[in-house]
Amino acid sequence: MSSDTLLIIGGGPAGLEAARGAADLGCKTILVERLSRLGGTPISANYAALTHGMRDASEVMGEMIAAVDGDPLVDIRLNTSVTACSGAAGDFSVTLTRGGTDETVSVGAVIVATGFEHFDPGRANQQYGYYMYDDVLTLQDAEKMLKEKNFVRPSTGKPPERVCFIQCVGSRDRRIGNEYCSKVCCGVASKQAIEIRQLLPNCRVFIFYIDMRMYGYWENEIYWPAQEKYKVSYIKGVISEIVMKGDRLMIRGEDTTMNRPMEVPMDIVILSNGMEPSGGTKAIATTLGLRQNTYGFINVAHDTLDPVSTSVPGVFVAGAAAGPKDLDDTMGMAGAATMKAVGAIRRMARGAAIKA
Amino acid sequence: MTERAQLASQVPDSEKERLFNEVKADLRFGDYLYGCYECGICVAVCPSARFYDFSPRRIAQAVAREDVELVWEQMNGEVWECSQCFSCLLCPRGNNPGGIITIMREVAVKNGLHSAQQALEGYTRIIYKIMSTGTQVSPDMIRPEAFPDWGPTAKETADNLEVWRRAMPPDTMHTTSASWEVDDKTLTELYLIWHLSGVLDMIKALDESLHMILVDVMEEKLEEAGYPLS
Repeated sequence: MSSDTLLIIGGGPAGLEAARGAADLGCKTILVERLSRLGGTPISANYAALTHGMRDASEVMGEMIAAVDGDPLVDIRLNTSVTACSGAAGDFSVTLTRGGTDETVSVGAVIVATGFEHFDPGRANQQYGYYMYDDVLTLQDAEKMLKEKNFVRPSTGKPPERVCFIQCVGSRDRRIGNEYCSKVCCGVASKQAIEIRQLLPNCRVFIFYIDMRMYGYWENEIYWPAQEKYKVSYIKGVISEIVMKGDRLMIRGEDTTMNRPMEVPMDIVILSNGMEPSGGTKAIATTLGLRQNTYGFINVAHDTLDPVSTSVPGVFVAGAAAGPKDLDDTMGMAGAATMKAVGAIRRMARGAAIKA
Repeated sequence: MTERAQLASQVPDSEKERLFNEVKADLRFGDYLYGCYECGICVAVCPSARFYDFSPRRIAQAVAREDVELVWEQMNGEVWECSQCFSCLLCPRGNNPGGIITIMREVAVKNGLHSAQQALEGYTRIIYKIMSTGTQVSPDMIRPEAFPDWGPTAKETADNLEVWRRAMPPDTMHTTSASWEVDDKTLTELYLIWHLSGVLDMIKALDESLHMILVDVMEEKLEEAGYPLS
């Protein structure tokens, strides 16, 4: 007997969009979220404006939540984890655990939307002294201050005069083991650079990069305005280290296109930390028996032609659980995964009807 | 310490900042510089870059990054190595490095920077000709020693310049000290323009002795026109 219910794991952008899409198609859905609220990383990590389009993150996520909250077809389970799974496509038996209580549900297909986590700049090495210097921040630390419209040096509480971003922290790095590009950090750093310049017009902002990767319209909507209108200085070169000089941070690197070494003071250094698979993604891959790549992200059937099917029939993936993704990619994947998952449920129901 | 570094250390930051702001304040600036990819396409097409340690990219970069110190250095050197051919308009960002250089040169000239003096030294005679006669070259500039590649023709021409010029049909060409004869009214207007537009002042900042000679030439006509130079 096949189940007509779809299980969506993760209540962030991918999971919410998948749930909305499934409900629109008239499919019964259980939406499981580990935390006590929906919205995913944009909310838990205090995103201010979304890259790109610059819409307010809380507002956008609020709209996405409102689109599913109260829908009779969407059964939202907060504070809930998926702890066991058996069966096969069309008839999975899944254990949902909430506060020590287990419940087993029967579902026809699963969409995994368990996302990513931000690279912890102190995890592999202390190259940039993230845990040593108050004024060395991550993109998320900066985002939180920008959201509050109060961008100051944590060490003094005063507005900075010189701020820089160091790109590719925890990405494109063989030593750390993350050889991939995290895709969004160039855009996010440039977006934050614009926001800093808007808040503090006298503050100079630098971005030290290996390659600027500003896909599609990110180029003319973020990169060019940052450089042309907001006079953000883009300097090709990776910073080797940060040291304290007086009460300021001193960064060392090479201004490669100018062919000269640099040693310049900064008030705040923001590490553009990339993406890693979230704990939830790694755990669910084990629970559902999904093949993962060497970095722990969930493998898809074909990166180009089928970016949403996993190694287990009936289980699909959407968003950054399958590797670094921007929101554009995530929303597209959520739609594609929903189409395939609901399609699979319907096909099996039809097969059962024919048999009967 | 190099000569330029020595000079740089003597010029206060505020002065470098003022010159930089003068470049940025130019009306053309917004159309000449957007942002720089630092891709080097302008260097790839630049004829000067093949012969000198010169890079239009470095100029665009320095100005785009608002590197006041480096822009100052460039205004005191590199900008004069550009041939102003504008091949660099190939820029995918729509920048005009040659145009930025035009502005930087103009600021250097207007402010009498040492580099502008040096760069224009070789042109003293031409500036003198244009400003005093309204014509850039004159037949009497043809001297055998200046044109050895002409062979005996140069000497023959120079020796009989008067005759050659008289052989030309239009009356206005019967002169050897200018390309053509410029009448007094035109000269007075021309001198007035140099005077009122501030070009004479600019020359004063660049080359005081040239300025003295020009004033000498222009004084009488300007006074007659009611614009005493002093």
